[in-house]
Amino acid sequence: MRIILNGLGQFFRSAVAGPLVALLLVIFFLQFTSDRFLDEGNFSNVSLQVSVVAIAAIGSTLVILVGGIDLSPGAIVALTSCSLAILVKERGYSLEEGIAIVLLMGAGLGFINGFFATYGRIPAFIVTLATFSAYRGAAFLITDGTPIFSVSPRLRPLFYDEWLGIPRPFFYTLGLFILTWLFLRYTIIGRNIYAVGGNEAAARLSGVKVNQVKLLAFVIAGVMSSIAGILTSAQLNSGSPNYGVGLELKAIAAAVIGGASLAGGAGNVIATLLGAWIVAIVQNGLNLNTVPASWQEITLGIIIVGAVGLDMWRRDIGEFVNRAMRLVVPQREPPPYSPEGGAAPPPLSEPGASP
Amino acid sequence: MPAHSAPLWELNNIFKAFYGVQALKSVSLTLYPGEVHALLGENGSGKSTLVKCLAGVHQPDRGEMLHQGQAVNLHHPVEARAHGVATIFQEFSLVPSLSVAENIYLGRQLRYPGRVVNWGGMARATEQVLQRLNLHIDPQAIVRNLSVAEQQLVEIAKAISQESSLLIMDEPTAALGLDETNRLLDLIRDLARQGKTILYISHRLDEVFAVADRITVLKDGRHMITEDRAKLDIDQVVQLMVGREITQHYPKVHHAPNPAFCLEVRGLSTRKGVNNVSFEIRRGEVFGLGGMVGSGRTEIARALFGVDAHTAGEVYLEGQRVRFRSPAQAIGAGVGLIPENRKADGLFFNFEAHPNISVSRLRGMLLGPFLDLRRERRTGREFIEKLKITRNAMEKSVRYLSGGNQQKVVIARWLYSRARLLILDEPTQGIDIGAKLDVYNVINELTAQGISILLISSDYPELLAMSDRVAVLRDGCILHVTEAKHLSEYDLLAIASGASSVQAAPAGVTG
Repeated sequence: MRIILNGLGQFFRSAVAGPLVALLLVIFFLQFTSDRFLDEGNFSNVSLQVSVVAIAAIGSTLVILVGGIDLSPGAIVALTSCSLAILVKERGYSLEEGIAIVLLMGAGLGFINGFFATYGRIPAFIVTLATFSAYRGAAFLITDGTPIFSVSPRLRPLFYDEWLGIPRPFFYTLGLFILTWLFLRYTIIGRNIYAVGGNEAAARLSGVKVNQVKLLAFVIAGVMSSIAGILTSAQLNSGSPNYGVGLELKAIAAAVIGGASLAGGAGNVIATLLGAWIVAIVQNGLNLNTVPASWQEITLGIIIVGAVGLDMWRRDIGEFVNRAMRLVVPQREPPPYSPEGGAAPPPLSEPGASP
Repeated sequence: MPAHSAPLWELNNIFKAFYGVQALKSVSLTLYPGEVHALLGENGSGKSTLVKCLAGVHQPDRGEMLHQGQAVNLHHPVEARAHGVATIFQEFSLVPSLSVAENIYLGRQLRYPGRVVNWGGMARATEQVLQRLNLHIDPQAIVRNLSVAEQQLVEIAKAISQESSLLIMDEPTAALGLDETNRLLDLIRDLARQGKTILYISHRLDEVFAVADRITVLKDGRHMITEDRAKLDIDQVVQLMVGREITQHYPKVHHAPNPAFCLEVRGLSTRKGVNNVSFEIRRGEVFGLGGMVGSGRTEIARALFGVDAHTAGEVYLEGQRVRFRSPAQAIGAGVGLIPENRKADGLFFNFEAHPNISVSRLRGMLLGPFLDLRRERRTGREFIEKLKITRNAMEKSVRYLSGGNQQKVVIARWLYSRARLLILDEPTQGIDIGAKLDVYNVINELTAQGISILLISSDYPELLAMSDRVAVLRDGCILHVTEAKHLSEYDLLAIASGASSVQAAPAGVTG
C-alpha cells in the first residue's frame, strides 16, 4: 500500500503531470462543442478507439526509452491479424492456440528487429523501415492480398463484450500499462532500460548487458504489436494485410506527446497512455463535430509539434518569464561566484620576458 | 636561426579565465617570421588556452594581440585564418567520409567561373601539396580508410596548403611513428626556412630540442621563460616546467605492506597500444601509472576492465586467472573503473544520484524479484553523507552537480558494488581542491579496507604523493617501476617525455 502511495506521489510530481493537465484541458474544451461528448456511450467508444494505438504505444515507448525507434507495429498488426485468421479459419487451430501462436510470432518479429538493431549494428530506424515493408509484404503473401472474414464467432466478444459496463479493451489497455509501469519501475531490467537509453557507454562500463536490454525492448514491442493485431482482428472478426496502416506513427506520437525523449532514457509509460488518450479524444471531438478526416490528420500534426515543442521550449519560456519578472520586480544581486571561497583577484605581476 | 626582424605576432599580457579558474595570467609571447617556437608546460599550464586565443577559438579577457604591429581581435577561427594562422589541433578536424583532396580544400573549393567545382584542379593542387611533404597518399583516398598517422599528416598538409604565415601544431607527433616523426621534423625545418613561423607544442622534449629555435615555458598559467634553445638544456626546461615545490597537502596514509597480491599482470598486450606490460598490485596498495597522454595508461585500464581484447599475456585477480570479455564480467569479479571522461562514460544524466550509485549492483537492491526503492534511497543517502556529496543530489539530475560531486557519485557506485580493485583514471581532473581532498581521503579509506587501487593521473605531484609504487610508461611499455617516494617529479617527467633514457628496469616489486 505504502509503495503504491509513494508511487502515486512521485507520479504527480513527475512526467505524468503535464500530459494529464493537457488531457483534462482537451476534455474541458471539447465538452462545450458537443452535447454527446460526455455521454457514457461516447466514453466507451473512445476507449475502444484508443486501445489498439495505446497498446502499440507501450512497445514504442520501450524502444524509444533504449534510444531506438520502431516503425514496424502497423506491419506486425497486419501480419498477425492475417496469421490468426488463417490459423483459426483454415488450419483448424482453436482460437486460444491461434492467439498463443500469434503472440509468439510477435515476439519473433520483434526479435528480428532487435537482433539487427543491436548485434547487427544497423540503425533501428533502418531495420524497422525494412521490416515495416517486409512484414506487411508477408501479410499480402500469405493471404494473396484478400482479407479473410468471419474468422470465429468467439473472436468479436474479445473486443465488444463489457465488464462492469465498460468495454473489455479498456481493461486490457489499463492492465498492460500498469504491468509495464511496474516492470520499468520495480525490476532490474526495467531500470537498465532507462540506463541504456540515458548513457549507453556508461551502462556498458557499469556492467549492464546493453545489447540484451535493447533486444528485449524490441521483443516486448513485437508482442505488444501482436496484441494490437489480435484486437484489430477481434474488432472486425477478420484478418487483412491492410490493417494497421499508419499505426506506428500514432504510437510514436502518443509516446512523444507523453514526453518520451527520442534521445532515449527519458519517458514514462503512463504518460504515453495519456498521450494516446489525448490523440483519441481530439479525434473523437472532431468526429462529433463532423470535421472532415483531412482536418483530423492536420490536427494530429499540430498536437505533436505543440506537445513536444512545449516540452522543449519549457526552459526558454521559464527563463523568459523570469527575465520579465526581474524587469518588473527589483531583485537582490546574487553574490559573485568564487570557486575556492572568495579568492583574491589574480596578481598583476610577471610581465612576459621579451627577447 | 632567423635574424630578429619585425615580429609577426606579439601577445602582450594575456589574461583568460574559465568559470572562475584563471587559465592565463599575464602571459606574453612574441613570434618572429621563420622561427620554430616551442611552447612547453605540463597539463593545465595554459598552453592550449594560449594557442586557442591565437586561433580565434577563445578571446582573451585582457591583454593585446598584435599582428605585424597592428592590434587585432580574433572573434572566430575564420578571422584567425584570414590573418594567416593555421592550426593543427590534437583532435582531428577532418571529415571522415570525404576524400583527402576534398578535406584539404574543405570550405574553399577551387571553382571554375560559375561556381562549378574544379575537381581536376583540386586533385592536382592536392598532389602538389602532398609531394611537397613527400607523402605518398592518394588524393582521392577516403580519409576514413587512412591510418591515424596518415590522417594526422593529411591534417598537416591541409594546414600547409592554406599558405599561412603561422602554423600552430599541438602535439602533432602523438599519433606518429619514428619515421613519420622524423619526416615531420624535417618538414618543419623546411617550412621555417621558407619564412613560415611554427608554434610547436609537444610533451616530447627530445623532439623539441631537435627542432625548436626558441622555447617558451608556461607553468600554472604564468610565463616562466622565453629563451634561445642553444642557451637551455633539457634539465633546466624540466625544472621550469615542474616549478617550485607545490605546497599542496596530500593526506596520503601509508599502510604496512600486505604481502598478498590483488592483481598480477604478466606480459599483457592489446591491439590498442599496450605492449608486453607486467606488474602487480598488492592488497591495499595504490599503484600509479605515470606517462604522457597516449602512453598507454588508459589502454591498460581498458584491457583490465574487459573493454579491449588481449592479444597476449595473463591476468590474475586474487590468484585466479581471469579473462574478462566484458565489463560485466570484470565487475562481477570485483573490479571497478572510474573512467577518464566521467560525463561521457560515467554518469547517467537522466538519473538522480541514487540510481547512479546503485546501477552496477542492482541485485543488492532486490526485495524478492522487485527493486526496493526505499532501500535504494536509504543507501544513496548513506553514501551522500559518507562522501560529503551535496545534500540535494537525490532530488535532481546529476547533470546539475559540480564536477567534484559528480566524481564522488561515480566513486560511490564502486563502493556500493564492493570492488576489490578500483581503477581510477584521472579521478581529480577538473574538480576543485576541496573535492580533490575528499577523493584522496576516499582512496585512503579504501586502501585501509584492503581494496587495491590502480591510479592514473597526469597530475604528477598527485600521482607521486598518493601512490605507493609508480610505473612510468611510454609508447605502451612500462619503462620503470619504483617506490613512489624514490621517484621525483623531475625523473618521472624526464622518463615519460623521453628526455632521459632510463632502460626498462625489471618490472618486479621493489622493496
